[in-house]
Amino acid sequence: MSAEPKILVVDDELVVIRSAERVLKSEGYQIEGALGGREAILKMEQGAYDLVFTDLKMPEVDGITLIRWIKKSRPNIGIVIITGYPSQDTMKEALELGIIDYVPKPFTPSVLLDVTKRAVEWAEGRKPAEEKAAEEFPPAMAKELDRVIGEYRHRPGSLIPALQRAQEIVGFLPPVVQKRIAKGLNMPEAEVHSVVSFYSFFTMKPRGDHNIRVCLGTACYVKGIEGVLEKIKERLKIDIGETTEDKKFSIEGVRCLGACGLAPVMMIDQETYGAMTPSKALKIMGEYGGPASDQAPDEETAAVAEQEG
Amino acid sequence: MEKVRSHLMLCAGTGCVASGTAKVKTALEQELAKKGLAEEIKIVLTGCNGYCAEGPVMAVYPEEIFYQKVTPEEVPMLVEEHFLKGRPYQKLMFREPEKKAAIPGMKDIPFFKHQVLRVLRNKGLIDPEKIEEYIARDGYQAAAKALTEMTPEEIIKTVKDSGLRGRGGAGFSTGLKWEFASKVPSEIKFMLCNGDEGDPGAFMDRSVMEADPHSVIEGMVIGARAIGAHHGYIYVRAEYPLAVKRLRMAIDQATEAGLLGKNILGSGFDFELDIYLGAGAFVCGEETALMRSIEGKRGMPRPRPPFPAVKGLWDKPSVLNNVETLAQIAPIILNGSAWYRSLGTEKSAGTKVFALTGAVNNVGLVEVPMGIPLRTIIYDIGGGIKKGKKFKSVQLGGPSGGCIPEHLLDIPVTYEDIVATGAIVGSGGMVVMDDGTCMVGTAKFFLEFTADESCGKCTPCRVGTKILLDMLTDITEGKGKESDIATLEDLSRDIITTSLCGLGQTAPNPVLSTLRYFKHEYESHIHQKWCRAGVCRNLTTFWIDEKLCKACGACLRACPSKAVVGEKKVPHKIIQELCVHCRTCFDTCKFNSIRILPAGFDGDPNEFLAKTAVGAKEEK
Amino acid sequence: MPKLTIADLQKIKEKYKADFTLREGGYTVKIIVHMGTCGIAAGARNIMTAVMEEIAKVNRNDIIVTTSGCAGLCAKEPLATVELANQPPVRYSDLTDEKIREIFREHVLGGKPVEKYALVTGCETTY
Repeated sequence: MSAEPKILVVDDELVVIRSAERVLKSEGYQIEGALGGREAILKMEQGAYDLVFTDLKMPEVDGITLIRWIKKSRPNIGIVIITGYPSQDTMKEALELGIIDYVPKPFTPSVLLDVTKRAVEWAEGRKPAEEKAAEEFPPAMAKELDRVIGEYRHRPGSLIPALQRAQEIVGFLPPVVQKRIAKGLNMPEAEVHSVVSFYSFFTMKPRGDHNIRVCLGTACYVKGIEGVLEKIKERLKIDIGETTEDKKFSIEGVRCLGACGLAPVMMIDQETYGAMTPSKALKIMGEYGGPASDQAPDEETAAVAEQEG
Repeated sequence: MEKVRSHLMLCAGTGCVASGTAKVKTALEQELAKKGLAEEIKIVLTGCNGYCAEGPVMAVYPEEIFYQKVTPEEVPMLVEEHFLKGRPYQKLMFREPEKKAAIPGMKDIPFFKHQVLRVLRNKGLIDPEKIEEYIARDGYQAAAKALTEMTPEEIIKTVKDSGLRGRGGAGFSTGLKWEFASKVPSEIKFMLCNGDEGDPGAFMDRSVMEADPHSVIEGMVIGARAIGAHHGYIYVRAEYPLAVKRLRMAIDQATEAGLLGKNILGSGFDFELDIYLGAGAFVCGEETALMRSIEGKRGMPRPRPPFPAVKGLWDKPSVLNNVETLAQIAPIILNGSAWYRSLGTEKSAGTKVFALTGAVNNVGLVEVPMGIPLRTIIYDIGGGIKKGKKFKSVQLGGPSGGCIPEHLLDIPVTYEDIVATGAIVGSGGMVVMDDGTCMVGTAKFFLEFTADESCGKCTPCRVGTKILLDMLTDITEGKGKESDIATLEDLSRDIITTSLCGLGQTAPNPVLSTLRYFKHEYESHIHQKWCRAGVCRNLTTFWIDEKLCKACGACLRACPSKAVVGEKKVPHKIIQELCVHCRTCFDTCKFNSIRILPAGFDGDPNEFLAKTAVGAKEEK
Repeated sequence: MPKLTIADLQKIKEKYKADFTLREGGYTVKIIVHMGTCGIAAGARNIMTAVMEEIAKVNRNDIIVTTSGCAGLCAKEPLATVELANQPPVRYSDLTDEKIREIFREHVLGGKPVEKYALVTGCETTY
């Protein structure tokens, strides 16, 4: 694909073509317009395009007919539909024909840009992206992810539960997973990302084999969790939100685990550990295969034990 | 029918599970089987008992003997002594600090004795995973009454008259809230439960959801009937896996038994209930934000009006009640509003659950009639301050609340009296702090929280909390300026008046309340570079008073940077150049011979301490 | 579980009454079997089993059984004490399987202490 993606906008209203041109040109896209299906086909016969944006309802050759022709004669061109009130049947037909996305009319510049960006990325990396996804996740994981997304597809307000399940499956929510969910739930990626970045439960970085969650609640603060956290950080040589180089451990700070009676508290994976002291924390980490001390072990345990009286 | 002669109610709440409930249960089963007692003694796993610190805890009925810190190693002796020979096993009983005598009976233990259980009525008495046990304790009788014998108006009137106020923080009348929503005509309405217990240091809602999930469900059914809702959600923190599991199980059982779903108890009333897992955002405790979150969006609050009672979840009339509020409903419906009012005060009726934690001897969940003095909770129930240290302050209401000093401990715990101190009752987190706590550091701790959790919608909150935090950080690092105190006060007021939701409106409270009662600590941080509690590392000099030092060597061994020198019988000394100000020696010394002086202190410590000793009085 | 009616709620409550009598109190009869080392050696275990069987037979919810330690009368073991609500407890000694079953019928169910086996009336109560 060329450096500047070439897009053909097909609509029987000139104003739509003009406004699309205004929005997209400034972002470095090459835009051409066609006022109907016939003109569009003629243009494609003569030049190469990366994407076609098309209305559905047009006189003579309508959108669906155009899409059919493109799929048959120019299968590499990505298709996005621009439409006012699509009937469910035409939408379904268009989806079955393999469109990338659709833009509701009237559209705002940001929506158009967002969809365009996504469509270009999709068209650009179509094959490699799928291969890469397969590399990053075992096929079974990807399959399970898609099954879960499918479960939530038609439920209102299902983004957060879908993300929670996805994080359970993959372990974290990298952009490629967010993209897959956005596509599956038919919503802009930006919206998915905005939710992922808002809630502290979601993470975009992979966690270690063992996730250490240190409670930063008030009771734990009063009872000295800071000293425990310091020791853990020092031993693993990472900060909160990071993962050790060998991917064995990660540290997460959580607001309150609700086990204040046992303060200070930490959790490793699903196990809760109460009444933590620096040396106890290190000992428990050891049970999960935590790194040994730089100091001679005896000397250190002695020192820590003294500290704790 | 098998006759069971004794029930062992073993706590399986989050706290006790973390302390080893599962292993104790296995050990008990094996040991009872070995002694041939397995059939006549039954082990029942209960929800959170509330006395988490000494877990795993177990109550033995019918004798009502309370055991704590039960370990698998102790189980054989326990079984042999108590269940075979009938001699309650003293070693695992509660003992008051400083006193030797073991207290066998649960009702005699001070921690339990002063409590009145309404919300926690079933704690430790039922197996939360069995709906039959809830029903056996009058469960769903109130729902039956509300659905078949009462009109929605009568339900609302009873709840209104009871004086019940929202237990989540704001303290708004529950009956009024229901009335507003009931009067808005709409085909679709929502009954919601807030189980997103976000306040750090509060765990009463977790405990109720774990120990008695059906009490929340029953409250919701009654509320739904009152407002005319047929759908509901319980919004729970994902950090509470056990609560989620128990609620799921309870909803399934209730649905199967026809206590949820279509035509509940043959009354013709329908109510479907789902669980929605929160994703960790403190601001979602705010009702409009929580509703946005259920819609699958960023949980940001929106301006009111329109109130959720008119336009809430998916723009439909909605009522959101807190877990503890809902657990109060069934007994109110069964026993009437006058019964509920028999405890508490005129404006703050009934009981409230507090999560008592921090520097007290007995930590755990405490349900008390409103209006009792703070002192009773901290000293009689909580057993006073740990390790004989001095009380400094009690923090109420989490990041939205404030710190109450000692001279106010006799005020009654009511919504109004607590607000007058600059704190709030809030969801009921009660963290006790001893004299080893730095109040500037405490304010900083809460601001770290709110600055991080601000959703970012309102600039005063997003930027203001950050500025407050930066200033507090500076003060604790010794970079405080003369003008800081006035600026902190001004900025706090601005944030309060210009923020949209409760988070911003209350975020400066920890700063204002510590400034109000502990201004001298700010002043000594700023002017004298002195953190008297010895918490802020840059603002301390540790000095050993040679007159008091017994030369025991404890601090010498404990010091991580080997800054303490001395020998046996020769008073110790700290080499200041080597000291990293970690306070380890101070905490280790059993003779109070280590003193905390201002940073870089150079002069006569005795003279300085004598001069400043009286100056530490709290502002009244 | 089938869909419940309001009457079913009451039935479930009844069915679980025994469990909750145990946990909440409200029992009317308490039988204490003394299970010290001496008691066990003398056969207290069998006494306990007999009591449990008898209770199961009559299906009563308001009778509880507990154990206690050595009563200090090792020669007279096995011992058991029967406490009826509002009546002084009666301690029985030298029990056998038949004797305890008779006591159960006469005293626990019938309300009349079996004087021929009684050691003492109005002894101290225990847990």
